[in-house]
Amino acid sequence: MSLPKDLQERLQFLARVVVREVRQLRETDQRLFANGFGLEEVKRLDSAPDLAERVDAFVSRFGRLQDTVGDKLLPAWRSAVGETPATVADNLDRAERLGLIPSADLWLGLRRLRNQMMHEYIEDPSVLSNALNTAHTHLTVLTDAADALLADLAQRGIIERS
Amino acid sequence: MRLSAEQVSIIRQTVAEIFGPEVQVSLFGSRVDDSKKGGDVDLLIESAQAIGEPAWLAAQLAARLERSMEGRKVDVLFLAPNLRRLPIHDIAQKNGIPL
Repeated sequence: MSLPKDLQERLQFLARVVVREVRQLRETDQRLFANGFGLEEVKRLDSAPDLAERVDAFVSRFGRLQDTVGDKLLPAWRSAVGETPATVADNLDRAERLGLIPSADLWLGLRRLRNQMMHEYIEDPSVLSNALNTAHTHLTVLTDAADALLADLAQRGIIERS
Repeated sequence: MRLSAEQVSIIRQTVAEIFGPEVQVSLFGSRVDDSKKGGDVDLLIESAQAIGEPAWLAAQLAARLERSMEGRKVDVLFLAPNLRRLPIHDIAQKNGIPL
């Protein structure tokens, strides 16, 4: 199967971005949650700028990977395999049917979780702590989807995987 | 109140599926005002029991409602014994319309 050159180049570019985003998200995740992130850590945020920056890095990397995989790589992948990308929800339903993600509702829930991870805005420590820990425990939903899409593209010879 | 009967029914049913019949759901914010247009659907959910995983339950409920209400933006606020009471809770209770 021959792909249009611009689509192949876009997929190769997105693959490189996703590999970097996965690596960086995992690094921040390991640093932030090494000793757990509970109410005590939330209460320390105002007086611990390094910790606050680590939370910011985690939140923005989580959001970026989810957007790159769900809103860019997934629709481009659908085009590459001869499907027609549609709305976000439709693409996610397709990904669920193919086993790329556990469920579209779960994916959309994680997306909706993000504004509760903003430590400047969330005034209840138990809400902030729960939001961050939920993202942490569901990290593999994002990284597994990324891995599955990249593995499939590599198998089709569209990208190279190191 | 600017919600259709169908939207109210979707909200009540989805909330009951996730939380059971014991919680009270109210609409607050701009959609209680008939003279305005558009706007997010702001929901207050009051529970006499503690709500474990408040951020995750709010996100999942909002995501499910947004899907069933054609992408209309939904925000969910909880009031429960284990959660901090903030000024927004007073506003929501004062202006809220029980669904």
